[in-house]
Amino acid sequence: MVPILLGTCFIIFVLFNMVAGDPTQLLLGKHATAKQMLELKRELGLDRPFFAQYLDIVKSAFTFDFGRSWSTKQEIIEMIKIGAMPSLTVSIPAFILSTIVSIAVSLIVSFFRGGKLDRIMVFACVAMMSISSLAYILFAQKFLAYELGLFEISGYEPGFPYFIPYILLPVLIWVVLNLGPDVRFYRTIILDEIYQDYVRTARAKGLSEKMILFKHVLKNAMIPIITYVVIQIPFLILGALLIESFFGIPGLGGITLNAINSSDFPVIRAMTVLSAVAYIIFSVITDVLYTLVDPRVRLK
Amino acid sequence: MSENQKILEVKDLVVEFNTDRGLITAVNGVNFEVYRGKSIGIVGESGSGKSVSALAIMGLIPNPPGRVKSGIIKYHGENLLDKSVGEMRKIRGNKIAMIFQEPMTSLNPVFNVGNQIEEVLKLHQPELSKEDRHVKGVEMLSLVGIPSPEKRYKEYPHQLSGGMRQRVMIAMALACKPDILIADEPTTALDVTIQAQILELMNKLQKDLGMGIIMITHDLGVVAETCDDVAVMYCGKIVEKSDVKSIFNNPKHPYTKGLIESIPSFDSTSGAAKGRLPTIEGMVPSLFELPEGCSFQDRCEFSTEDCRGSKGSPSLTKVNEGHKVSCFNPLQ
Repeated sequence: MVPILLGTCFIIFVLFNMVAGDPTQLLLGKHATAKQMLELKRELGLDRPFFAQYLDIVKSAFTFDFGRSWSTKQEIIEMIKIGAMPSLTVSIPAFILSTIVSIAVSLIVSFFRGGKLDRIMVFACVAMMSISSLAYILFAQKFLAYELGLFEISGYEPGFPYFIPYILLPVLIWVVLNLGPDVRFYRTIILDEIYQDYVRTARAKGLSEKMILFKHVLKNAMIPIITYVVIQIPFLILGALLIESFFGIPGLGGITLNAINSSDFPVIRAMTVLSAVAYIIFSVITDVLYTLVDPRVRLK
Repeated sequence: MSENQKILEVKDLVVEFNTDRGLITAVNGVNFEVYRGKSIGIVGESGSGKSVSALAIMGLIPNPPGRVKSGIIKYHGENLLDKSVGEMRKIRGNKIAMIFQEPMTSLNPVFNVGNQIEEVLKLHQPELSKEDRHVKGVEMLSLVGIPSPEKRYKEYPHQLSGGMRQRVMIAMALACKPDILIADEPTTALDVTIQAQILELMNKLQKDLGMGIIMITHDLGVVAETCDDVAVMYCGKIVEKSDVKSIFNNPKHPYTKGLIESIPSFDSTSGAAKGRLPTIEGMVPSLFELPEGCSFQDRCEFSTEDCRGSKGSPSLTKVNEGHKVSCFNPLQ
């Protein structure tokens, strides 16, 4: 875990300090004098040895002290705290709902495998995946929200339960966007299991197809499903860039987008470090969860 | 319980599969009977239809692409093919049980052994309490010769060897004391010493429980060791049927004779003296392009004009008491 983190920090360091170019040039514009640039460098701590700067990144991965934003001068960790809430109020319900819906749909589709329903759903999944996510957002905003008035078009209000009307449409869009790829993925996993020998044994025992699917197949399919689901969680914290910016949700996605637009390196770096840390943590959690469903995996 | 009680009768069974290349008849008019306390061996090469026949009895032909086109499978006077899905489920694993070739993968890896045995009991004997099921499950494990069954009961399939897993499969299959046990190549994936143990175990349990066994195998050695009767299948048809002694001593069908001769042995009566194992020349014809007449004609050294379709396909005819062969030129 620690070596992975150190390596990730190193890559981040290289990307930001060597590949990205001189940030002072970007901040001060074309006509900056060499003196101005040097002063700014000192102010931002960019004149210090590389190793010290690298250590800062590693330290921030543990302390979450990311320094201040270049453009707003706010403490980055405060910005993240403020932005996390709106992001999570959208992403968590959306994630839970979309996982449940996708698994349920794929179980139904697998139950009727090879039949008409199955074929229609597979086709629908591919069709849904082929449509740009922008199209869904714009369509929903125009017809469902604006013309039919079923949802708020955009905006956000902090605090429970005030945010609920604002998250409905983003959540719905999230579920619809994920349905295609998720159902295809889960269906493949479930069908992989359905042709295993132990399923034939279960049939020979006299079990019904329903029991075979929900007990024997599902428990085996949980192994790949858990990997797929848990590894999505770190990205929930970061929020959905597109959905947040289109629905005016002041979440982490929006913060990241603004930071990228204004070359606010510390913020971008903070988000990168944060996602790397979250990713590593959830990978470990995945491994731990395996032991719950797969007796062949035991923690040493 | 009379000595020769017929418990299962398969009559004119035809099973078809719809494949990408067209319709094939995997089982084409097969007849055989299973008697209480007796074993019938169904022998044949891969694709001869032996496993498909067994799956048809279990009602487990994957549909689509397969389907039982015609025939009767009579069990205790009732045609299994007329039974509903629900009725068949009550028979499967309860009255007719099946074990498979692949002990390594036939058990569910994520449930422990006891759980999988108890599942059958829970399904077919719902009147048993949880404790009774446990007691019976452990009893079954010791019946199939698994040492320290109480400990093994909580173990998972990956903690057991292949032979142990096949024993667990047998324990699972026999948990409800079935009338018929279908064993589809039960020892093919096992070491030779373990094979012998498993066959011995099956023989012993058959005597104790009085069930009929359908032993599906390509290994005539297994047949000689365990079976009372034999049916030899080729291209979806039974080509020879008799008691086990007559088949080995006096095979009538050239294919049977070829099979017996290709068993490696040290004594040299069957041509092995030259140091080379005799084989049956040629290949099994594709089920898509079966020749007119006898399916074995191209590989048969005795084939004549009759075999090539002028007299139609040979049918199973009696040559001796209890010995039938489907051949225009049976061996003497």
